[in-house]
Amino acid sequence: MDSLLLTPAETAALLLSVKVALWCAAISIVPGVFMGWLLARKSFPGKSVVDSLVHLPLVLPPVVPGYLLLVLLGSQGVVGKWLHQQFGIELAFTWKGAVAASAVMAFPLMVRAVRLSILQIDKALETAARTLGANPLQVFFTITMPLAAPGIITGLILAFSRSLGEFGATITFVGNIEGETRTLPLAIYSYTQIPGGEDQTIRLVIISIVLALTALIVSDRMERQVTRKLGISKLDD
Amino acid sequence: MIEFDIRLARGQFALDASLKSEARVIGLFGPSGAGKSTLLNVLAGSIKPAQGKVVINGRCLLDTDSGIDIPMHQRRIGMVYQDGRLFPHMSVRNNLVYGMRLLPETARRYSLERITELLEIGPLLEQRPAQLSGGERQRVALGRALLASPDCLLMDEPMASLDVRLKSQILPFLRRVKEETAVPMIYVSHAMPEILDLTQQLAVMQDGRILSYGDYHEVLTSQAVLPLAHSLGIENVLVVTIAENHADLGHSVAILREHHLTLPLSQHEPGSRVPIAVPAAHIALAKSSVNGISIQNQLSGRITEIKLVGHRALISVDISTPLQVEVSEKSVRELGLETGQEIYCLIKTQSLRYLAGV
Repeated sequence: MDSLLLTPAETAALLLSVKVALWCAAISIVPGVFMGWLLARKSFPGKSVVDSLVHLPLVLPPVVPGYLLLVLLGSQGVVGKWLHQQFGIELAFTWKGAVAASAVMAFPLMVRAVRLSILQIDKALETAARTLGANPLQVFFTITMPLAAPGIITGLILAFSRSLGEFGATITFVGNIEGETRTLPLAIYSYTQIPGGEDQTIRLVIISIVLALTALIVSDRMERQVTRKLGISKLDD
Repeated sequence: MIEFDIRLARGQFALDASLKSEARVIGLFGPSGAGKSTLLNVLAGSIKPAQGKVVINGRCLLDTDSGIDIPMHQRRIGMVYQDGRLFPHMSVRNNLVYGMRLLPETARRYSLERITELLEIGPLLEQRPAQLSGGERQRVALGRALLASPDCLLMDEPMASLDVRLKSQILPFLRRVKEETAVPMIYVSHAMPEILDLTQQLAVMQDGRILSYGDYHEVLTSQAVLPLAHSLGIENVLVVTIAENHADLGHSVAILREHHLTLPLSQHEPGSRVPIAVPAAHIALAKSSVNGISIQNQLSGRITEIKLVGHRALISVDISTPLQVEVSEKSVRELGLETGQEIYCLIKTQSLRYLAGV
């Protein structure tokens, strides 16, 4: 039975992972929905460049965004310095930095999910709303957003899950500090590096699997519920 | 009052349409691909023309020359689309009040109660659009547009996706809207009977141009519209006076100038004047009156004009009121029809149809 109980260090890793993942999902909503909408509904010069930039973290080795974050947002970085001076926010080697790292890595997933669901919305509905007197912002909040809700939820779950699995960018940007930036994947990695760490490794691996499955099941449930509420699914009936 | 003058080019298609009308309801009529929907979208503001001017009830919505372009949501132009375009994530009630809620209370011309009563959609309020039938959906779409208190209502083939039975469930409501609200309308259709039930002010459109506009009779006999006559399905509109209703025999007798007509049983009191319609292609011609035939109506007249269009002939007959008859070119030749000739127009009772008052 003893082996089922978590040590304080393991508990800390689990809680930190969940905290970072929740924050990651939370701070991704507004920019993710906005960018998804922008790419789905607007055409503007340089759109393909923006599109590529957004998707870059998906194809780059994660250490690259991690390194760039360190350069930009580190205590000596341009943005990092400014953040520290203006708001007293320190990102490098803190859990907030881990949130930033996983948010950058998860951003393309969030954007893709939102964009796809907005593309599926009949534009004619938005036009109809305009003729009824709704300005573009009102159309966005009363028609586009609610109808894209399933995609937004998917995006949030993807961001959450991506954050749980984030390793490369995190360890590069914020290091592997127990209790501060050592999330589950980093803890697993650490235990594999020390002799006799097999038990702890296995426990954390199981926890990771359970956590990921829970996220998937919850997302599936939420999506179904929302879809039914919106009355836009004919597949469920 | 509706006034527009619009030029727009899109690939092969060019729209070059202008119109000025005081009519309450304009029927916009033409084959598919004529540019009817594009025109409505320009009026509503969802398509920007290269050049153009739109004035509705004295309010300038668009004038490319002076840089006026009122955004779509401030144009107060209600649209009713073929597919309804109800918001699937909202109840019928929330669909209906969508536009109304965006208006300050003083600007709301109709109440939800009035519109639900007018369109008989009260029982549907808590339902979802997906649960509605085609006819119900269009009534809700119409109500939603009206509740936004539009200055003008544009209807883009609102009944095109409905079958005949459902159409007959919508038309009375459209007429009610026409009678009980003062909103000017443009009603687009490629089905003539549907339009004639609402208005006799027609604009005929083809290849992006308005070929002719005005009273039904003028428009359909105008030179520009003739080549389209057959595909459009010309209908005659006659105003008759009901003389007798024979409920037991299932027909009515009406008077049209010196002629007596046998019609399907009328709902109108004897003495009332009612408009009726008969398709030009449903009238047969005979050189003398015919005995031993089931056709009840044989109206004598004189041919005033014969126009050949393709292998069809459009013949104007003066039966003391003009009547358009469409026959084949072959018939014209075999009967030896000529202008000035005495002729009998044969019309079956069931080909005569009551219009809903114009």
